[in-house]
Amino acid sequence: MSDTTLDSAGPARPGPLWRLGALAIAAAAMMILAPLFLDRFTVNVLTRSMIFAILAVTVDLLWGFTGILTFGQAAFFGAGAYATAMVLTHMGSGPGLMALGLLLSILVPVALAAAVGWLTFYPGSSDFYATVISLVVPIVVTQLIYSGGTWTGSSSGLVGYFGLDLSLGGFFRLAGLCLVAVVFAALVFVRSDAGRVLTAIRNNETRCAYLGINTQAVKIALTTVLAGVTGIAGFLYANASGVVAPENTGFVFGTQLVVWTALGGRGTIIGPALGAVAIDYLSAQLSGQLPFLWQLVVGLMFVVMIIFMPNGLAALVTGWRRVRKGPAAAAPALVPIARRARGPASDAPLLQIERLEKAYGSHKVLEDITLTVRPGELVSLVGPNGAGKTTLMRCMTDGQAASGGTVRVNGESITGLVPNRIVARGIGRKFQVASVFESLTVAECLRMARAAHERPSFTRRRDTLALPQPAIEILRLTGLDRQLGAEVSLLSHGQKQSLELAMVVALEPALILLDEPTAGLTKAERTTIGTVLQTLTSELGLAAILVEHDLDFVRDISSRIVVLHQGRLVLDGTVEEVVNDDIVKRIYSGGDHG
Amino acid sequence: MAEALQDATVKLSLDGVTSGYGAIDVLRGVSLDIREGEIFALMGKNGMGKTTLLKTILGAIRASAGRIRYEGAEITGAEPRALIAAGIGYAPQDQPLFQDLSIRDNLRLALPGDAHLPSALERVYGHFPFLADRLAQKAGTLSGGEQKMLIIARALMTEPRLLLIDEISEGLQPTVIARIAEALREERRSRGTTILLVEQNLDFALGIADRWAVLKLGTIDDAGPAGADAHSRILRHLQI
Amino acid sequence: MTLILDILTTAAILFVIATGLLTIFGVLKIINFAHGAWLTIGAYCAVAVGQLGWSPWLAFPVAFVVGAVLGGLTERFIVRPLYARPLDAILATWGLGIVVGQLITLGFGRDVQFTAPLLPGTADILGTSYSIYRLFALGAAIVIGLGFSWLMEGTRLGLSARAVIMNEALAHVLGLDTRRIRWVTFMIGCGLAGLAGVLLTPLTSVDPNMGLAWLVGSFMLVMVAGQSFAALALACLLLGGAQVLVSTFLSPILGGITVAVLAAIILRISPKGFSRV
Repeated sequence: MSDTTLDSAGPARPGPLWRLGALAIAAAAMMILAPLFLDRFTVNVLTRSMIFAILAVTVDLLWGFTGILTFGQAAFFGAGAYATAMVLTHMGSGPGLMALGLLLSILVPVALAAAVGWLTFYPGSSDFYATVISLVVPIVVTQLIYSGGTWTGSSSGLVGYFGLDLSLGGFFRLAGLCLVAVVFAALVFVRSDAGRVLTAIRNNETRCAYLGINTQAVKIALTTVLAGVTGIAGFLYANASGVVAPENTGFVFGTQLVVWTALGGRGTIIGPALGAVAIDYLSAQLSGQLPFLWQLVVGLMFVVMIIFMPNGLAALVTGWRRVRKGPAAAAPALVPIARRARGPASDAPLLQIERLEKAYGSHKVLEDITLTVRPGELVSLVGPNGAGKTTLMRCMTDGQAASGGTVRVNGESITGLVPNRIVARGIGRKFQVASVFESLTVAECLRMARAAHERPSFTRRRDTLALPQPAIEILRLTGLDRQLGAEVSLLSHGQKQSLELAMVVALEPALILLDEPTAGLTKAERTTIGTVLQTLTSELGLAAILVEHDLDFVRDISSRIVVLHQGRLVLDGTVEEVVNDDIVKRIYSGGDHG
Repeated sequence: MAEALQDATVKLSLDGVTSGYGAIDVLRGVSLDIREGEIFALMGKNGMGKTTLLKTILGAIRASAGRIRYEGAEITGAEPRALIAAGIGYAPQDQPLFQDLSIRDNLRLALPGDAHLPSALERVYGHFPFLADRLAQKAGTLSGGEQKMLIIARALMTEPRLLLIDEISEGLQPTVIARIAEALREERRSRGTTILLVEQNLDFALGIADRWAVLKLGTIDDAGPAGADAHSRILRHLQI
Repeated sequence: MTLILDILTTAAILFVIATGLLTIFGVLKIINFAHGAWLTIGAYCAVAVGQLGWSPWLAFPVAFVVGAVLGGLTERFIVRPLYARPLDAILATWGLGIVVGQLITLGFGRDVQFTAPLLPGTADILGTSYSIYRLFALGAAIVIGLGFSWLMEGTRLGLSARAVIMNEALAHVLGLDTRRIRWVTFMIGCGLAGLAGVLLTPLTSVDPNMGLAWLVGSFMLVMVAGQSFAALALACLLLGGAQVLVSTFLSPILGGITVAVLAAIILRISPKGFSRV
């Protein structure tokens, strides 16, 4: 396996894109030639199948890559098809009106999707809610069409308008070329640095937000753009079939798209496209002889597939390829970047917490917390279980968490701010359980941490990875710099913890919050993390707040210790002061009751 | 032969038990013997694996390595239901009660059926008489101390031969701790119940335990009998 | 008066249809997208009972048993492997719905079927004549609601199910057989769906895809209701009432989307819906 690894790590970085382009050109040539060899029926059916395949690709981008299970693509498709058909029916045909039809077939779904996206993706929204809305939208659109009278043709749809003046073969070629273009663009995009953001969101949306990525905005943008693509497919369909019907917009069709995507293999782009073409074509072929039996077989296959092979038929192929190529992908080269210019090093407080309070109903978890942290400090937060340590950390990074008091970062209150905005103000948070992106590589994870600073490319994978020096230092110390191309799910628990720390440091925060960074680590790993933290604070002037149970560790590295007990701050002092304090002794031997 | 003899007096034995959550090992090769009829205090700071240890014994978390034996039979990998039927009682620490259910229903859920409910209720009233008058009250409306007593009462419903208790004294007034200590002593005196106590409260634990061990970073760091030097030895481990 | 009765009976029918779905969602935290197919199964049980020449009333127990048995098999072989993947469970049960629909088509044909009316005619209520059957549906909803609250509040099984709903981890360490509780709950939920299917037969036409029309509506009601049956009753009354009002005064077509749109808006404003009722 070593020789293939060498091969893929070679200098020919643009290789895959080249190969992909060549494949696309070959596929396009095939599309142009195919009608010469196929009979009328097949050309006709495949034209439709290929249009549907475009939709399956959009479903795959949303569901397979980003994790948004959607039944709603049918609504955007139908909106595009109806926009075209309505222009052609009610205003007549002609090049100008055809252009208007195309424009509207994009704009109407885009506008609809922007509204739906805004409704669906808000801070704290659940995946489930997105699925719920994706069911409602097609139902609403269908009912609106039913109630549209002669405008929409109601239940019989629109028929008899004059579409593009193309032969059967012409439509086949147009649909085929569009499909190739969409698949090619989608493949380039999902392999690009920007495309990996989608997978990152699916893996761990919270971590994305805490890397300063506005995931809701990404999802809305994705939904909107894909609705435009879907609308173009609708335009093609309205022209090629010469009829649009309410069924084209319904959620049953929407679920069919999901079935095709699942059977083809979610998260592979090509799988869903082939799945859609194959199943739709076979349906048309077989529906004459065995109409219901065929549907039954598709349904059964779908159920079996979801239970036993959630990644679809394509997983068999890609699984085989992974074995062949070996797990390590080509890794980018590390490049240090200059430290972000900050104002003159001052001693002004980075964090000021005043009379902070957090209550669930009448139960107060935190009460009257006042705390100030300045640059260069390494503050440890200790206290028994249930003292409110993790809650306090949350209140510092989520402006909607606290129920009273204020938290100021660099003098400005963060009340009401969502995490990604607070991260942009210079706070980085490391979670208790290593919060990384399991299906990304180490390098891709680190690039996510820089995504808010430098916009990732939509077409390319960069072959360099620019990181701040301290982040590179952590990678070197922990050996992760030699595993940049490894998938995160293959790392050990300790390596994941170190990776998360490197990601947080790559944000160049002024203040780092760490929740039990040493939990489950070996002695050597602890020492490494301790060294890193001390360097960051004492040499680079960052501030760090640490929740930690390992009190030996705390004693070794802290510049200050804060003791929480039953939601109150009972002590704030140097290591010496806290270690020798009687209250602390009593808290830890169980006798004290606040 | 020698092993069989030893087994007769060992109620519960852990042999190199490793377990945790997902890929994270919280316990790393813990070996421990609890003798028939003793009260054993397992001490340690937060996050050292005490709760994980109890959950692993009970089968709520699966051990990834090692063996657990109870009354001479291997129980590694058994389900909580089977172990409770085999005479193990458990008083959990986090979210230990159905807050919106009545006291009666909370106690009732400890038993597999309702046939022995009246006699079991009578038995736990003996320890905590206040329960009898407030059966219909929702568990969530009890005070902190009353809730802890309800947790113990529920664990006693099945007349367990081995009782696993997770930080029952946390956040309690000394008077309540004393009542719970008395109930546990009484339970052992009358029925010979073996008790494994996970604790951070030194005074309470050493007040009733025969032996102790300190868990640190998932391994047994220190252990001994409850003697004169126990207090200072354990305190050294618990302190900053 | 007709309007009030319409609102009450519509809410009642919605409640009966959604109860099975809510039962399963509450305990298993899984949305059973084959729910529509089970309504269809129930309706076809009524058709089959009619074809066999039995009393149409027998359709109710038959549909409950058939629904429950098929539900038991579904939980064992399809739902159980997917507890950790709730979105996939939606898809798998949806696929199962397709399969059931096609099997029914193979067995009964795709044409609309008719069943003998259970209670024809109208009754006089305060001077308004009103369909007896719709009044019966209202009564049936109340009976099912009461029966169900007895099951949940008054039986050992109900107590166990509530314990699983409230805190499954605790139920597990207390030795409750959570696997069996889930299985039985799924069976009961499916049985109720079958029952609801029979109840629908005189009101709508029976065809292999009839359940679909009701699926999304009941799904939305369950989302709004969370895990509480009282909340479900309230949601049915409010949203069902709104549906009747919109259908009567604006347009029946818009009435058809009232429940879904209102539910979406309610969930956007308050993600927990009415579950705190």
